[in-house]
Amino acid sequence: MKVVEKKRTRRDEVDEIIRAEDKWEPIGHTPMPELPDLRNWDMRLLKTYKPFYAPMCDLCCFCTYGKCDLTGDKRGACGIDISTQQARVVLLACCMGMSAHGGHARHVLHYLIEKYGRDYKINLGDQVNVEAPHIRTVLGLKPETLGDLEKAMEYVESQLIHLISSLHTGQEGSALDYESKALHASMLDHVAMEVADIAQIAGFGYPASVADTPLVGLGWGAVDRTKPVVLLIGHNPVTAIPIVDYLNANGLQDKVEVAGICCTALEVTRYSDKARVVGPLSRQLFFIRCGIADVIVTDEQCIRTDVPIEAARAGTALVATSDKVCYGLEDVSKQEADEIVSSMLNQGKQVLILEPEKAAEVAVRVALELAPKRNKVLTKPEEIPDLAKDHRLCNMCSQVCPNLLPVGDAIEAAKNGDLQPLVDVFNRCIGCGKCDQECPRHVPIIKMMQAAASWETWKIRAGRGPVMDTEIRKVGAPIVLGTIPGVIAIVGCSNFPEEIDEVAEIAEEFAKRKYIVVLSGCSAMVAGMRKDKEGKTLYEKYPPEFDAGCIINVGSCVSNAHITGAAMKIANIFATLPLRGNYEVIADYVLNRVGACGLAWGAYSQKAASIATGCNRLGIPVVVGPHSSKYRRLYMSRKEEDDWTVMDGREKKLVDTQEPSPEHLITVVESKERAIVTMAKLCIRKNDTPQGRQIKLTHYISLHKQYLGTLPDDLHLFIRRASDIPIFFKKEVMPYLEKVGWQEKPVLSLPTLVGTYPSEVPIDAVVH
Amino acid sequence: MTVTLPYHRVNVLTGTKAARIIEDAGEYAHLIKRARRPLLVLGSWSLTTVLGGRQLIEYGVDIAKALDIPICATAHTKKKLLELDVEPASSYDIIEILNHLKDPEWRGVRKEGNHDLVMFLGFRTDLGEQGLSTLKHYAPHLKTMTLCKYYYPHASYSLPNYRKDEQWKEFLDNLIANLKEKEA
Repeated sequence: MKVVEKKRTRRDEVDEIIRAEDKWEPIGHTPMPELPDLRNWDMRLLKTYKPFYAPMCDLCCFCTYGKCDLTGDKRGACGIDISTQQARVVLLACCMGMSAHGGHARHVLHYLIEKYGRDYKINLGDQVNVEAPHIRTVLGLKPETLGDLEKAMEYVESQLIHLISSLHTGQEGSALDYESKALHASMLDHVAMEVADIAQIAGFGYPASVADTPLVGLGWGAVDRTKPVVLLIGHNPVTAIPIVDYLNANGLQDKVEVAGICCTALEVTRYSDKARVVGPLSRQLFFIRCGIADVIVTDEQCIRTDVPIEAARAGTALVATSDKVCYGLEDVSKQEADEIVSSMLNQGKQVLILEPEKAAEVAVRVALELAPKRNKVLTKPEEIPDLAKDHRLCNMCSQVCPNLLPVGDAIEAAKNGDLQPLVDVFNRCIGCGKCDQECPRHVPIIKMMQAAASWETWKIRAGRGPVMDTEIRKVGAPIVLGTIPGVIAIVGCSNFPEEIDEVAEIAEEFAKRKYIVVLSGCSAMVAGMRKDKEGKTLYEKYPPEFDAGCIINVGSCVSNAHITGAAMKIANIFATLPLRGNYEVIADYVLNRVGACGLAWGAYSQKAASIATGCNRLGIPVVVGPHSSKYRRLYMSRKEEDDWTVMDGREKKLVDTQEPSPEHLITVVESKERAIVTMAKLCIRKNDTPQGRQIKLTHYISLHKQYLGTLPDDLHLFIRRASDIPIFFKKEVMPYLEKVGWQEKPVLSLPTLVGTYPSEVPIDAVVH
Repeated sequence: MTVTLPYHRVNVLTGTKAARIIEDAGEYAHLIKRARRPLLVLGSWSLTTVLGGRQLIEYGVDIAKALDIPICATAHTKKKLLELDVEPASSYDIIEILNHLKDPEWRGVRKEGNHDLVMFLGFRTDLGEQGLSTLKHYAPHLKTMTLCKYYYPHASYSLPNYRKDEQWKEFLDNLIANLKEKEA
């Protein structure tokens, strides 16, 4: 008799990958979800938070049918309409963002697996047991080794090919479905970020399970230019770490400066507190042109694509180290270090070296040889009038400034001896150099900024990685009940609309009010670039714990996974909800009960798009600055008109709460003042206790009065019962409520969206 | 045909449908007077821009007062309006008001019906241009008009790029004077 072999299903494969036989938690409904598996959750979110599109362009120019005009009711030759085309571009951006983090994760993993093997154990210290909330929740896998992290990346990569495929002409025809795919890509982005940072912590021995990480030097002035300087630009520490190792091994740690721009700076300072953070990516061109660096080592992401040209102009040597950023340079990885050093010093050759240890040795040796021969002289204020002598106030520089700055007027003033307008421009400059490029008279504007820039030094606390389980146990209840008014996550790039000081101001406003403030990336840097009257930065002034009134720096871009991961850990550690393959339940919990709000005030990149969209799928609202309107898409509600019905999980009945909380999933605001008020409001959750709601409304009202001058005109929407009214404002609020005809609203015992849309998840799954 | 470029090159139009440039304050005033339910949206740059010794927001107030036009005070402009003894009809932020304006059935800031002409004053040009793109594509039921110094391609009606503030001031002064005059 012929034995029929049982067909192996995808679920069998999933069970094998996630080791389903390990019973650490029950497996939820969506282990390793594919594109359609969380689609209903997405559609439920998008029903309340509808996509808002602001097309950058009237056209589609993706294929040879076009260009196609999509204005009015017109469709392209393939049938696509303007909304679907916007959503398609958003998905493309999210795939780019996710791939950038994923590429970083892959590279780090590959390096570490080659070094230590797949069985190398992950250890995040004794205070972090829930080591990988994203991998646990999305995949259903509890990673123990680097090999397990590789499994997570293989899953992410397998999804990416389907996502990218859907972007092809003649594929998806629904804006909402493209949005669902963007949400999927961005959820995976957080998995990829988590893989990258866990691998780094485990493999490079970064601090973990510790809050009080070292304070390290911050600012271009913090770099000792009397020493040889190696400048790291990018995000991936695979070469930065061997540079530190090489210096230590050769007794050079005090003889060579290692400094970084953008996230590699945050990475290397997690490894060595002797390294310096020059600043955010907006200072990249400025610092390169200062000529302080003797050698530039590029890795990946957010690196200027003209670094070879700029480095050559500055007389700085260049070592590119990433397969993503080869710059057309010769790959000399197989040559001996002596030969490479010689060609760089004698022929001025710029090189690509894909072997980290060799790149590290070459960079240090070239810096040591080159530095004594270079003259690092900065522009002095007295030189400015001469440098500006050809300036004619044509304002071409102002016209091309992406941050709309009055560059021409500032140069005019500087020419006449008044540097202050140029100082103001520098403080708002995003560092693109377009002004320089456009000037018909070749006025060296960026060079002039050396005289305008502050050369003060600041301190930043080295990135600390994951929030500890012990911290979650302490703050879980107050966050969910609302007595800690919220978690404010300030993340992202340095495309700030106004002065970089605004980030520190926003962070401090919330820290003073006992919110938990977490920072990452370039935002974490600029938050440190302001001192109080006593000369202290925020990192010196506020405790580094994940607790009320504290400020922490989790680390680089990929450390953002720890911020969203903290929200998941609240659901798991405080509410005891299983994470394993249980995304909908966890996201629903975060949306309805964890009062967290992100701020990406200077977001510019595709990575920022996917980070924010990943927050949104998890139920975390995000506020973005005015430049982010160019991302083309937001998720917005209309508070008065929309349906705010949710399920009461305990009573199992639908309740029209009439309460728009959170009001939006992602929105652009124009000013810092409005951002602060909006973030306070977006921390309100349906689960707040009366005491918690009072605290949250106290801040919302007081901030609204401070910045907008009155009580909020939507205040009545957030007061459920009289017990929600803050005592401090009661005399003012009561007449207002009477005037607007406020009536009591239903109170829920357990708010959830589960049960309000088609899902395999039973309502009981959200009851803990 | 001469193509007008926005002052800030970051706002260059990539498309097919661009604003009509109007330089005559009388024509602008006529369009505003002809509207059944105009709305004036004020942005944060109306607080930081000084024109002829006055804050830009004060010109906005004059325009609104001339025809009892409701104001939507975005960003943190409400506080200044209250100081000027003006109660805005709405304090939606910029994206929120755009999100409502897209809906032809929306009842407007005075609950009398959606607006048919929306004027903008005091926005970053890039944010303004993106917002106008939303309305160009998704709000065919209304017209948009910009009162700022520069050309906005995504608007229905826009001022040209004024090289000098004096030209802009003269336009706004004439507009306010025209609005105060009764139509023949």
